[in-house]
Amino acid sequence: MEKAFEIQKQARDNAKALQSYMTDLQNWEAEMKRKEAALNGEFEQDLPPVRSKIKKEKPVVPKKKPEKKIRGSDYSAWDKYDVDKACEDIDMADVGPASLDSKKSQQAKLEKLKEEAQYEKERGNVFVKQEKWDEAIACYNRAIELVKDDAIYFANRGLCYLYKDSLHQAEADCTEALRLDPTYVKALQRRATARERLGSLRSASHDLTEVLKLEPHNTAARKQLDAIKARMGTKGAKSKSSPSTTPTIENNPLLKLKPQPKIVELPPEPAVNQPIDENWRNGVGENIMVIKPVKKPPHLRSKRPLKSVPIQEVLLGEKTPEKPPTRLKIIEIEDELSQGDSNNNDSNKKIGSPLEGEEIKGEGDKVLSSPESVKLITDTIVTEKELKSFVPPVNSVQFMAEWKYLKGQWDAKCEYWRIIEPSKIPSIFANALESHVVSDVIRLLHDYTDKFPGSVARYLDAISKVQRFSALAMFLSHTDKGMLTKLLDHCKVAENCSDDVIADLKNKYEL
Amino acid sequence: MEELDTPQIITHVEHNINHSIFDCKWIPCSAKFVVIGLLPRGSGMLEVYEITSGEIRKIKEIERPNAFKCGTFGASSDVERRLATGDFKGTLEIWDLEKSCQMYITKEHTDIINSIDAMGGNTTNCGAPEIVTGSRDGTVKVWDPRQRGKPVANMQPVKGETKRDCWAVSFGNSFNDAERIVVAGYDNGDLKMFDLRTMSLRWECNLKNGVCSVEFDRKDIPMNKLVATTLEGKFHVFDVRTQNPSKGFAQVLDNTTKSGTIWVARHVPQNRDIFVTCAGNGHVSLWKYEYPERRYHTDAQGVSSGVAGKLKRLQRMVISSQPINAWEWNRDHLGLAVATAYDQYVRILVTTKLNLQ
Repeated sequence: MEKAFEIQKQARDNAKALQSYMTDLQNWEAEMKRKEAALNGEFEQDLPPVRSKIKKEKPVVPKKKPEKKIRGSDYSAWDKYDVDKACEDIDMADVGPASLDSKKSQQAKLEKLKEEAQYEKERGNVFVKQEKWDEAIACYNRAIELVKDDAIYFANRGLCYLYKDSLHQAEADCTEALRLDPTYVKALQRRATARERLGSLRSASHDLTEVLKLEPHNTAARKQLDAIKARMGTKGAKSKSSPSTTPTIENNPLLKLKPQPKIVELPPEPAVNQPIDENWRNGVGENIMVIKPVKKPPHLRSKRPLKSVPIQEVLLGEKTPEKPPTRLKIIEIEDELSQGDSNNNDSNKKIGSPLEGEEIKGEGDKVLSSPESVKLITDTIVTEKELKSFVPPVNSVQFMAEWKYLKGQWDAKCEYWRIIEPSKIPSIFANALESHVVSDVIRLLHDYTDKFPGSVARYLDAISKVQRFSALAMFLSHTDKGMLTKLLDHCKVAENCSDDVIADLKNKYEL
Repeated sequence: MEELDTPQIITHVEHNINHSIFDCKWIPCSAKFVVIGLLPRGSGMLEVYEITSGEIRKIKEIERPNAFKCGTFGASSDVERRLATGDFKGTLEIWDLEKSCQMYITKEHTDIINSIDAMGGNTTNCGAPEIVTGSRDGTVKVWDPRQRGKPVANMQPVKGETKRDCWAVSFGNSFNDAERIVVAGYDNGDLKMFDLRTMSLRWECNLKNGVCSVEFDRKDIPMNKLVATTLEGKFHVFDVRTQNPSKGFAQVLDNTTKSGTIWVARHVPQNRDIFVTCAGNGHVSLWKYEYPERRYHTDAQGVSSGVAGKLKRLQRMVISSQPINAWEWNRDHLGLAVATAYDQYVRILVTTKLNLQ
């Protein structure tokens, strides 16, 4: 009886237990479903490396549940999609959780960060070029976040602030950059600009002085410093002496050597010297274009191949090359065929040796500059100066070029002719003397006889010794011949030429 | 009366599946489980079931040309919940069940993968996520899902030796990132213990009958106990805390029940000293290992050797007419288990009063 009762009780207990278990189970089911629904991708683990790769120290690839793809047609989802964040996630994916305890991976991580920061900097630089200061600042901010000890990022951000007129921030950034790298010239210059615009001229000039210490040939800094000094001068004469003199003394060692009785006298001197030096550097007042050297790091240089520049030879102080005898013959034949006024140039072109070609080009160069010189000559005052600059020609081409510019300027022609040494005339003209030139010269000698004291006979003699002069003589007009007779008379009277010489000249000029 | 407080094993739900089934696994963090099987036409089948208020509902099925033999979620996190499967052709696949696609596929085994075990996916500071597979081709291979194509460790007989069919594999001793042990049971009764840290064979013995199932009581602690079940209704419980250089591990053998092959032994996740054995005649037995007063003794030479404890059977129940080939306790709910049997039934079983033991 007792036993039956107990068995009954046991059965009842078991049923109870089972019942409670079942309700538990149902609760559990519901809980599991809720739990499962709550499961999302937030799961990251610091896993040990793959067994076979333990020795290689490969960083662990973090497991991540792939996010649900947004379908192309789901526009509302795309609207909510934060592209920047997604990009950042991708960017940060390989920076962030790829951590391992080992030092190697730590180093790799650092390198990765540096790379990332460098990338941000490059982006920032691009924005700077586009003058998008805010975007650039954002980029540099990220770079600084990633790598806190690079002066460049601070200096670049400082530049952006400078452009944005956030002068205090600019100054702070430059100061930070200089703390990291005290010899960073750009940061110094930027801080100087910031301080100048903030009105603290003294500290600005101090920065610039530092720049000039580091880079004595930094013209921009020098200019800026001068400007600041000028401003300081106008603002308060008191502050002029001490801060401004120190840099100039340092910069001009020559002045330093000179014993100076008073420091006060110094400032004006460099102020005068400076612009002259500067003018010379920039080619002010000279008819030249100054090509300044451009320093670029190798990776920024142009990738285009070097262009070959044809070098034009300007024959100055060089004698005409010896003409081959064959040429002589050709010209003689031509001479007989046609003896026009300007046949000389034409014949030169036809013969066309490479050297000759260059000479023609040289002539062309001079033609280019002709309008200027013509203007100068028309202006009587300038002519005086210009005459001094005549250079004795070494060949007929140079002579002819100059002679053409002086067309109508008999005074100038006279001066030009005067500087030509009579004995050199045959070599200058060689076989290229033209008849109208001979006529011109005869007229010159006749009109300006007094300008050729005691040398008229020598000139006439020299001209007559030019090759193929006999042909030229045939073209002399009656007026020419009349003038020649007068000249010869002058020679006889004033220059005491012997009868033989006069007779010889008369013969040569076919008088 | 003793039996008053004994746990009851009750079949909560029974569900008939009209094809052979080999394995079943709870999907972590859910009331769902996967059943792995073979269709009559020879193709493999993965089915996902959900239990809802006393009923089993199929929510997904994946059919593949090759029949699946075994599977595990051990190498996957609770978020990803990827199932690693071994099939009859020797292919290891890792499945994303949400998308019904493979994330990983490799065929390095030349024959059926009989057994699979995995760990490290969800536990921290106990090593990398790894999968171990034992195959009929005689090899035991360890895989890391992060390394594609090639195993990270391969244990195979020396050339010239006969290849034995590996029936069971299991991980254990993975109490930190470096230590890990694989035990493998073979058809000839060999039981081998491989140390993955030193890449060496740590211990081996022969259990005289083919080893059908091996399992440590816990994987993520310094190894404590090891259960190996064999043909002929026997199973061995080793105390693997103390290894004697000559005698190896102390063990207790149970061969009291003439129940045919013991197919599987599984420890209760919430209580490592209780385990269930599933026998060929459809019996399930719940056992409790009782430790001796001293787990080891030191002899005159100062060499210590383990002392085996005793086995106590808590409950015994026939739940199937055919061998029960797979059993898994639910990790989240004490006493809940899923089991498959050759009678083509999948069963949800509840075991009460486990907390009282």
